[in-house]
Amino acid sequence: MRNLAKIVTFLTIGCALVAFLCIGPTTATADKKPIKVGFIHSMSGAMSMYGISSEAGAKIAVMEVNKAGGVLGRELKLITRDDKLSAETGLREAKDLVLTEDVDFLMGTISSAVALAVSSYAEKAKKIFIVNIAQSSQITEEKWNPYVFRINTNAVPYWGYAPAIAAAKTWKPKKIISLGFDYECGKNSLAAFKEKYLALVPDAKIIDELWAPLGTTDFTAHISKIANSGADALFLACIYGGGEIAFTKQAYAFGLYDKMKMIQPCAGDVETWSDVKQGDPYPKGALATCRYPFWAIADPKSKAFVEEHKKMVGFYPSYGAMNAYETIYALKKAMEATNSVDSQKLIKALAGMELSTFIGKVLIRSDDHQAMMPNWYGIIAFTPDLPFPHITDVQIIGEEGYHTVEQIKKLRK
Amino acid sequence: MTLEAALGQILSGISLGMVWFLIAAGLSIIFGTLKVLNLAHGSIYMLGGFLCYHVTSSLPQTPWAFWMALIIAPVITAAVGGLIEILLLRRLYGLDMIYQYILTFGLILIIGEVCKLVWGVGYNTVAVPWPFKDTVNLFGLAFPKYNLFLIGMGIAVFVGLRALIGATGLGGIIRAVTHNREIASALGINVPTVYTGVFMLGCWLAGLAGTLMPPMSVVALGADLSVIIDCFIIVVIGGLGSLSGAFLGSVILGLTTAFGLYIIPKLAVAFGFILMIIVLILRPWGLLGEPD
Repeated sequence: MRNLAKIVTFLTIGCALVAFLCIGPTTATADKKPIKVGFIHSMSGAMSMYGISSEAGAKIAVMEVNKAGGVLGRELKLITRDDKLSAETGLREAKDLVLTEDVDFLMGTISSAVALAVSSYAEKAKKIFIVNIAQSSQITEEKWNPYVFRINTNAVPYWGYAPAIAAAKTWKPKKIISLGFDYECGKNSLAAFKEKYLALVPDAKIIDELWAPLGTTDFTAHISKIANSGADALFLACIYGGGEIAFTKQAYAFGLYDKMKMIQPCAGDVETWSDVKQGDPYPKGALATCRYPFWAIADPKSKAFVEEHKKMVGFYPSYGAMNAYETIYALKKAMEATNSVDSQKLIKALAGMELSTFIGKVLIRSDDHQAMMPNWYGIIAFTPDLPFPHITDVQIIGEEGYHTVEQIKKLRK
Repeated sequence: MTLEAALGQILSGISLGMVWFLIAAGLSIIFGTLKVLNLAHGSIYMLGGFLCYHVTSSLPQTPWAFWMALIIAPVITAAVGGLIEILLLRRLYGLDMIYQYILTFGLILIIGEVCKLVWGVGYNTVAVPWPFKDTVNLFGLAFPKYNLFLIGMGIAVFVGLRALIGATGLGGIIRAVTHNREIASALGINVPTVYTGVFMLGCWLAGLAGTLMPPMSVVALGADLSVIIDCFIIVVIGGLGSLSGAFLGSVILGLTTAFGLYIIPKLAVAFGFILMIIVLILRPWGLLGEPD
């Protein structure tokens, strides 16, 4: 009996040891292996502000998630790569992230060219790719594939439909003149604005279309023409960044902001005007859209996010940062819902999912995987709350700003 | 078209043209004397813009800051031009034109990267200086004073350069070297010094234009290439190497752009090129240029 007891004890300890050595540790490492998110963005060069800001947004979410115990008991890990605004580099980095870093997801990009290159690779590699800034509507419309999601606005609402809805809900100008950069984005922007606005205000008319070569910084002759055109509103089609600052200075000098209604789609985003002080030229009284008016968002989580972002990189968060933050939470929600990191299962979970974000409930449409991120609009002014000009009396445009699923189906044919 | 509208287009067209003239004049003078087509001329203009921003924002914020920059920045660009001529360009005079293109194209990349390293990729602005802040009322047309100042500067520089080259001893030397460098050299003129001086003058003009632009516009990367195309159109229209041609070409292109917007707005972007093609067909050496 004693021998038997010895044998049983010995066997038990042996089995336990074997179990511990063979099974235990493997399951333990599998549990501890982090879930990796490959983050591809423009981290250097002309657009790097957006890359740095987006990375900060994603990092803040990753830190919060890990602090609260990670996802499925595993840690989240963000691996950043610079696409240098080049589709070739972006694609190479995406491949490297998948093949050598073995990432579970891809996210990022400001350049639509990079986004399109990465999205076609994501389909081949069977990895989910979530776009957080790139605006080209093709990404989720004509050139869409099931692995691509976008938690961000796109060019249709941003450059066309949202300003059209905003103008129709506020001023309803009847005679509009337009000025745009003479390239694809400018033309698409005006076409979308025209289509939506004329549907909403049928007796309105676009009386003239003015174009300037991409990169123009002297708009004096255009402004002089606009001032004498007899139009009651100007629509600025896809003139942004340096061009927009130059235009605004010259239009301000001409007194154009006092003379007519100005519809300036990009002017609501914080990054262009955050250095402008009271007394400097700014788009005074212009109707502008905006993709993250954090001053008008009541949720304390948003306020904390703004502070955290400022602490991390030293400036106010761009809309890209907010999108990147919500992207990490969307992935978390999908993984927890399916108890898996499998692409196929997650695609099913994400498509049609309603995200609870600090800007409100946002639906990811199942037909185009486009999150119905709102576009806000308001009148640009200085208020005592902020040191820079910003949209005031902020209103929101949701799904009505996007192409309908029927429109997209037609485009995909 | 009302009188007010016509006046608005005339003035804004000329003000547009005058900044181009300052750049194109430098390009043209350099080509006239050195027979070098400086592709990096737009980069010198952009450098002038960044220097204007740098000087204006470094000095105490008084109305004088910009005016100091207007003196300092072009002098620095002229010095940079001098260094480029002495250290780099001088070695290529005897060689095929292609070497000049390669060198000056390389300079575009180098100057662009240096500006990016020093001033970053953001958009910098300079406020409109005293006393040109607001608008002036001309026959019912509110026109910014600063644009009138630009027109005045363009005309003053044109008259000044004409006088310098046409009516001074120094101008005589430049004309002699332009006309025939061997004979000028045989007559005891120090040709390399004249070359350096003319190249510096051209870069000073580009720097001056670069300094004048920021108060009404923005200082940012990319200005180098967008402006050089307009300047090439101007010198083709006016005649490469001709100062008066550059002036005439600038006024014509400015007015064409401004009135093109009135007549066929959708095609206004193409008018400069159409004009250039017409001149190239009818008078390939330019309106005021001389056939070889």
